[in-house]
Amino acid sequence: MVNTEKSRERIWHGLGLLCLVFTFGVQAQTVREEAILLDKPEGKPGAVKLSAGSAVKALRRQGFWVEVDAAGKVGWLKVSQINFAGATGGATAIDTGRLGTGNIVATSAARGLSAKDLVSGQPNFNEAGKLDSLTTDAPTVQSFLVAGAVVASTEIFQLSAPRPNAAPATAPAPAASGGQATGAPSTGKKKGDDDW
Amino acid sequence: MTGKTPLRCVLLSLALCLGLTAVAQTDEEKVGKAAAAQVLGAAPLVASELAQQYVNVLGQALAAHAGVTYKWHIGVIKSDAINAFAMPGGYILLSSGLLKSLESEDELAFVLAHELSHVARRHHYQVVQRQRLADQAAKGLQAVTQDGDTAKLAQASGQIYARGLDKSAEFESDRLGVEIMTRAGYDPAAALNVLEKLQRLKGSDPRAELLFSTHPSPEERLDVLLQAGIDKLPRPAAKSNPNRQARFQKFIQSI
Repeated sequence: MVNTEKSRERIWHGLGLLCLVFTFGVQAQTVREEAILLDKPEGKPGAVKLSAGSAVKALRRQGFWVEVDAAGKVGWLKVSQINFAGATGGATAIDTGRLGTGNIVATSAARGLSAKDLVSGQPNFNEAGKLDSLTTDAPTVQSFLVAGAVVASTEIFQLSAPRPNAAPATAPAPAASGGQATGAPSTGKKKGDDDW
Repeated sequence: MTGKTPLRCVLLSLALCLGLTAVAQTDEEKVGKAAAAQVLGAAPLVASELAQQYVNVLGQALAAHAGVTYKWHIGVIKSDAINAFAMPGGYILLSSGLLKSLESEDELAFVLAHELSHVARRHHYQVVQRQRLADQAAKGLQAVTQDGDTAKLAQASGQIYARGLDKSAEFESDRLGVEIMTRAGYDPAAALNVLEKLQRLKGSDPRAELLFSTHPSPEERLDVLLQAGIDKLPRPAAKSNPNRQARFQKFIQSI
């Protein structure tokens, strides 16, 4: 009986992991800093405490909350408690295709909008003229906002501008890629970065 | 008499500054239109007036919170590629493939606000300006502009869109875009939806190949937004609005 329940539990656990792969993300994430799993978004803390760098699997997100599976223990974390890029090494020169300023990356992208099309295609000034005619007026915008019940925020806020190299210290070092990029964004400030 | 001279100098300087700004804005629009023509050469505008009207109205609604003044011209282009392009001077193009991957007006608001931010911070225009000054190709560009050969300027601009911007410019546009959409009254959590959609596409969808070759990975973009404090931003009180969702669906069906 106990074994049957355990087997059932394992099956559900497996299904949960499959759901993760197909519905939310494709790779495991890590916890940025020590965190306690909550029973629901903005809920009560449970008994499961995760140390910084613990691997978790995101099951689903609800607004700014994520339900995670931490080695079989399921609970909720604030989305900012999770490091999305760190666990997988993040972007590399290979997976971003970014080979350095000045190099055009060859792609076989979708019809009509590949790098080659953009570089060697012919400009269409007739279509650009049509684009010039596309615009709107203030009363139309106002009606649109009212109809959609879009209400401008009255709160004052500003997102902080973290340096790209302020990636979480808990993230494992990415595999060497041979390229210039690493798991964390470029650490060297290029001329013009953030100066615009 | 002599006391008036400094005042005149100040007024003259001010007039010169204003004049130079006007010239710069004109050039920015010219560069932007040429760049738009290059992208439109690869993918034309969709015929749907409803679709073009919708993105322009939403774009203007967002632009009111961007802190800049441009004549915005926003277009939906016919391509199954998943991409969007911001051109100097207020031109923005969104692929129908990208738009069809979205599920709400709030998600579209993030995409548009991201592109508006590129324009507002003059990311592409700065690259053009640097190229004009930097090397042999830049000399060509400068001459091209002076000669009014916009076809060559357009093709030179195409290289920028094929190559992409520095990562920092993309991160900055994500951050400013989220601020703009939130101020306008849209849900900042929709930005996470969009990046998660891109995360799911990554590596498996050739339609997004150029996008991924010119942007940081979705995981990096998510992390930068989270570190910037996106989850502390106010969310709209109303969960969803049926009118808003209905008009978004109508828009998607029209492209």
